[in-house]
Amino acid sequence: WREHMLSRQSPNLNQLVYGKHSTNLDGVASEDNHDDDSSDDEEFFKPKGQKKQSKNESSSLDDIDAEDCSKFFKAELRDWSNEDLINSIRDRFVTGNWSK
Amino acid sequence: MEQANSLRFSGSRHFRQRMVLATLTSKAVTIVDIRSGDAAPGLRPHEISLLRLIDKISDRHTIDLNETGTKLRYRPGVIIGGKGLEHDCGVHRGIGYFLEPLILLGLFAKAPIAIRLKGITNDTKDPSVDTFRMTTLHMLKHFGVPLEGLELKIDSRGSPPLGGGEVFLRVPNINSTLKAPFWVDEGMVKRIRGVSFSTRVSAQIENRIIYAARGIFNRFIPDVHIFTDHRSGSSGGRSPGYGVSLVAETTTGCLLSVDATVSYPSVDEINEDYEKPELISPEDLGVQAASMLLEEVAQGGVVDSTHQGLLFILCALSSRDVSKVQVGQLTPYGIETLRNINHFLSTRFTIKPDPNSNTVTLICTGNGVTNLARKIS
Repeated sequence: WREHMLSRQSPNLNQLVYGKHSTNLDGVASEDNHDDDSSDDEEFFKPKGQKKQSKNESSSLDDIDAEDCSKFFKAELRDWSNEDLINSIRDRFVTGNWSK
Repeated sequence: MEQANSLRFSGSRHFRQRMVLATLTSKAVTIVDIRSGDAAPGLRPHEISLLRLIDKISDRHTIDLNETGTKLRYRPGVIIGGKGLEHDCGVHRGIGYFLEPLILLGLFAKAPIAIRLKGITNDTKDPSVDTFRMTTLHMLKHFGVPLEGLELKIDSRGSPPLGGGEVFLRVPNINSTLKAPFWVDEGMVKRIRGVSFSTRVSAQIENRIIYAARGIFNRFIPDVHIFTDHRSGSSGGRSPGYGVSLVAETTTGCLLSVDATVSYPSVDEINEDYEKPELISPEDLGVQAASMLLEEVAQGGVVDSTHQGLLFILCALSSRDVSKVQVGQLTPYGIETLRNINHFLSTRFTIKPDPNSNTVTLICTGNGVTNLARKIS
C-alpha cells in the first residue's frame, strides 16, 4: 500500500504547486481584476482597517501583498529535551547508533 | 501602452524574486495593484531601496512607477556590477533582504560586484549576515561558483530599529552557465558551529545564549563550537540587540542554518503598538535557536527551509542538464518560488515525495541561462 500511497501522492504535490489554483492567484491578471476596477466605487469609502483585517484572515498563500520573506517560521517549537524526540533524530547525527 | 511580451502580476508578493527573475531572463514585467487596498498604498521603502539597488548595478533598463506607487513597469537591461559600490539598505528590512537578489544578479553581471551595504545586519525577518557568510555563500559551490571571489565581511553590526551596520560583499561573475547539481545526499550531522553577537549590551549575554544552546546540543553531539562577536562603540551600530546564528555541518558538506535575534521592534512596527514589548531572555533565545536547528535537522534535505527558494532558482538557471536536489518539507516560500520560476522560465520541477524520510526530491532541467552581460562588453 505504500507504493500505492506514493503514486497517489506525487501528482498531488505537483498539482499543489502548479495546479490551476495558482494561475488564478498570481498569473496573468484575470478578468476578475478588471471587474474590480468598476465595482471599486462601493468599496472606496470603506475604512481601510476592515479590508486589512479580512486580508489577514486569509492564508498567506492567497494574499497578493504578502510579506516577502524567505525565512520560514514554524508555528511552535517542540521541546527537544524530551527523550522520545531525541531518539527520533538520533540517527541523523554521526554519534547515532549505526550498528542496526 | 502595455507591451505584448510583458509579464503581468498583481500585488507586492514576491517582489524580489520577480524583479530578479525578470532581470535574469530579460523579460519586462508589469506589477499592478501593489497594496492598493492598504492604508499606505504602493511600494514600501525597502522595495524602493531594492529598485535603487538594481538601478545602481545595471544599465539600459527602465523603471516606471506611477504616482501612488501601486503600479510598476520594469524593463531589464544589462547587469554591470563593478567595484566601489555603496548602498544604504535603510532600516525597514535587514541587509539579508537585499543579499539574496544581489548574489543572483552578481553572478550574471558583466564585472564582479564589490559593494558596501549599510543597514540592519541582524533582524528577525530576514536571514542574518552570519547565515549568509556561513551557509548561503557555501551553497554556491555546488553550482560551480568558485569560493575565492565570494566574500562577506561584517565591518560593523546594527540591530533594529536604528541599524548602523555595515557589510562588504564581493560576488564573482560566472563565465557562462551554472553547473547543474546532483545533490541528494544530506549525510549525517558531524558538527555544529555558530556565531553569537551582541550590540550595545553586556558581552556576558552571549555566554548565556551559548550556555543554553549547548545544553540542548549536548544530548546529540559533542562537537559544538559557537564563536562570540561582541560589538561595542561605533562597530555596534545604534541599537541594542543580541542573537545567535547556528549551522549544522553534515558529513557530505551540507549546511543547515538557523538564526534568532532579539531587539526592539523595527520602525514599521513601532507605529502599530507603542508599548515596548517584553524581550526574550538570552537563555530562552539559546534554547529557541537550538530547537530550531534540531527541527531543521529532523526535516532533512540538503538545505534548510530558508534556502529552498534560492536553491530552486539556481537549479532552474543552471546549464541544460538535469538537476536533482532533495529538501525537507516544502515551505510556502519555496512553493511560491517554484510558481514564479514557472512563470518566467516555464520550467516545471518534477516533485517526488519520499514517505520514508519525509523529504521531497525535485528534478528539473536547467534553462542554461548564460551570462550575456559578460559577452556583450
